Amino acid sequence: MKAMATVTASSAFASMVGCGSKRASDASGSGSGSGDFTITFAQGADPRGLDPAYIDDGESAKVMVQIYENLLKYKAKNCEVEPGLAKSYDVSDDGLTYTFKLRKGIKFQDGADFNAAAVKKSIGRQLEPDRTDDMPYAAFTFGSKADGTGIESIETPDDYTVVMKLRAVSSAFLANLAMCMASPIVSPKAIEKGNTNEHPVGTGPYSFVSWTKNSDIKLKRFDGYWDKEHAGKAKNIVFRFIAESSTRVTALANGEADIIDGVDEADVDQVTKNGDVVDKFDGMNINYMAFNTQSDTFKTAEARKAFAKAIDVEEVVKSLYKKYATYANSVMPLWMAPYDKDIKQTAYDADAAKKELASLGITKVKCITYSNPRPYNGKGGTALAEAFQGYLRKVGVEMTIDQYDWTSYKTTVQAGNYDVCFYGWNGDNGDPDNFMNLLAADDYSMNVARWDNADYKKLIAKGLKTPNGSARDDVYHECEKMVADQQVWIPVSHSINILCHKKGVKGYVFHPTAVTFLKNCTKSA
Amino acid sequence: MFRYVVKRLLQAIPVLLGLSIVVFLLMHVFSPDPAPVVLGEHATQAQMHAWRNSMGLNKPLIQQYFSFLIGFLHGDLGVSYYTHTSVTKEIMSRFPATVELALVAIVLASVIGIALGVVSAVHKGTPIDAVSMLLALVGISMPIFWSGVLMIILFSGVLHWLPSGGRINPLLAPVGGTGLFLVDTLLSGDMEAFVDALRHIILPALALSLYSMAIITRMTRSSMLDALNEDYVRTARAKGLTPHRVHKHHALRNAMLPVTTVIGLQLGSLLGGAMLTETVFAWPGIGKFIVDSILKSDFPIVQGTVMLIGVIFVIINLIVDIIYAFLDPRIKYTKEEG
Repeated sequence: MKAMATVTASSAFASMVGCGSKRASDASGSGSGSGDFTITFAQGADPRGLDPAYIDDGESAKVMVQIYENLLKYKAKNCEVEPGLAKSYDVSDDGLTYTFKLRKGIKFQDGADFNAAAVKKSIGRQLEPDRTDDMPYAAFTFGSKADGTGIESIETPDDYTVVMKLRAVSSAFLANLAMCMASPIVSPKAIEKGNTNEHPVGTGPYSFVSWTKNSDIKLKRFDGYWDKEHAGKAKNIVFRFIAESSTRVTALANGEADIIDGVDEADVDQVTKNGDVVDKFDGMNINYMAFNTQSDTFKTAEARKAFAKAIDVEEVVKSLYKKYATYANSVMPLWMAPYDKDIKQTAYDADAAKKELASLGITKVKCITYSNPRPYNGKGGTALAEAFQGYLRKVGVEMTIDQYDWTSYKTTVQAGNYDVCFYGWNGDNGDPDNFMNLLAADDYSMNVARWDNADYKKLIAKGLKTPNGSARDDVYHECEKMVADQQVWIPVSHSINILCHKKGVKGYVFHPTAVTFLKNCTKSA
Repeated sequence: MFRYVVKRLLQAIPVLLGLSIVVFLLMHVFSPDPAPVVLGEHATQAQMHAWRNSMGLNKPLIQQYFSFLIGFLHGDLGVSYYTHTSVTKEIMSRFPATVELALVAIVLASVIGIALGVVSAVHKGTPIDAVSMLLALVGISMPIFWSGVLMIILFSGVLHWLPSGGRINPLLAPVGGTGLFLVDTLLSGDMEAFVDALRHIILPALALSLYSMAIITRMTRSSMLDALNEDYVRTARAKGLTPHRVHKHHALRNAMLPVTTVIGLQLGSLLGGAMLTETVFAWPGIGKFIVDSILKSDFPIVQGTVMLIGVIFVIINLIVDIIYAFLDPRIKYTKEEG
């Protein structure tokens, strides 16, 4: 009785002084769409931010794709582009001018009109000279003056036409415009207000409600969404951030989440034991070992091939990753570049490796690697390096392994003090240039093999200028062959993406860019 | 008393100054370069150099330190390299969660720990004492990443009694108020949300309290045993007072002095964030945040959070000393003593 009296008194006090709080869900209002349910998606970490200009991480992208849309979008199962906010586009004969015709009658979630001026503002702020240092994808997506690439100017001849003039031909440009980094169109009103990184406003099927850092983000169905046929089905979408994979699995079993991602391989069996569903998707990534082609030990292809013969990569992939990664016989996954099926990597031959390495005088190799699991290598770089180390010991080579946390590793790799290093790449846009260009960069931040081959660079330049089609495929097939022949890397694996959900959850679309579209997602008991 | 408080606050200045130097040097000298993490995979060396310049990271260390110190004195802790949000805002959005968890955990630890310690001391050498001490040993020995996961598996995964993590069902979360969900939901009379917040805090608070509870139990037991052997307790017994009255009014009050210090220090460390508990239970406090920020070399966040924790420690120590005076009438913070 005493407790009840206290509660009642507290309530009365709160209502009297008005210092109480209201529920976050009160802010979500009621939708006129199809469902009155909430989909809860649990992921491993907070987004970095929610303005596409300022982020570079997958955790942000998963939330942003529900809020924003782009001029172009990827097809559901691959990275072919199709119209999005632009209803059509035209490319000039010289490949330098792109004209986009915009859809009419679209509103941003804050009521601002979607038009050519909005596109110019959203993309224009990421072009020089307005671009700032903290826009991680701006230069990659929209190019730079110094490199002579990307957008030179944006013109808006009328309210619903946008003309982008490029500095150089780029066959990857359209794929870039569909990316979930940098390219999504942000409300001009919200940009003016500032703080779009925490209060995002787009034209997508869900609008932002609130973000409790390290805890959750709430979205509500946007009733003014232009594409009524494909409007959001759930009334609310909640993203929860649960760092531990095993806790996410329990949250799924307990009904606290409907969908979870980033599940550790060790926890997958528990998901099925709990009666929940495990879905697997091919990843758009590559897990590899790079030779430092500028080191004394591995400056020749002969030495690199001798090393490669010592490692049974297929066996390593089978034993280390089991069914959660596939052996990589090329840099790009085969689903993305089917023309790579005939690429052959150096075959495992321990006897030949022993002989050749001895004749080259290679007895010691300095290896650096990362300790954390990465999206392309769920076991972490150390486990992979140790597997390689075991094979090398059998052929009389002692490989020392220095391991670093990811942040320290990135700095260490840039210093270049290694013979071999482990690294990986997650594709951004499904364009072959996005993978093969890694080995052509003059800057060694990503070209960790420090490979400087003029013929290869010419091929990469040609690939960017060649329109999509079989001629362009031939160029990248040639690139793959050159990388294998020169043994710049030892490609190891392409990791599989795992998404787990309750049995009644249907309609979500997992895209190869590792984001999940939830607008068509429904659930039943 | 006032002079004592002022003097203690003045003494805190060199402590905090020393702390600022240590945390600044640890981050700027021993942490990896933040540029590759902040600028992402596509960044070139030239872009990273430009960014370091714009952040002032290429300036002499002493100049950078004074910029940080002057900012701190003005209440400006800077902006996170990674999220571009003000450090104060980043910390304050997580700090209430840490405070709420720490307070519930310390209350649990104190109530159970003192009770177990007293019972154990009064029944020294009996099976009750043995069981209490065994519990205390288990509490000290079991790492949270293990005990926490076990609790989640049992109470969430198997029995489905309690949620596995988080502070509250996001759709029930109160907006505004103090940031302490138990308080906010109670004040607004939203009992559904209050119960939900309570269900969410039980497991993390219990897991977090185990270690403190064990320490408090052992300290209470040892302190009570000392007190029970004192002459004034013997005198009280000789006067014919009931055992309950002797234990409560004569032994326990005197035994509480060292226990108060331990509780104060435990609360200070809990308010500094509980990284493992917050990670295991997806609790959105500053413990995990600071570790993530260290791993990302987000210097402003780490410096700001460590300074905040330092200030909290200083204040809690001061409060404990003031509480001493109320617990022990012999202690007076007079002009001479102060």
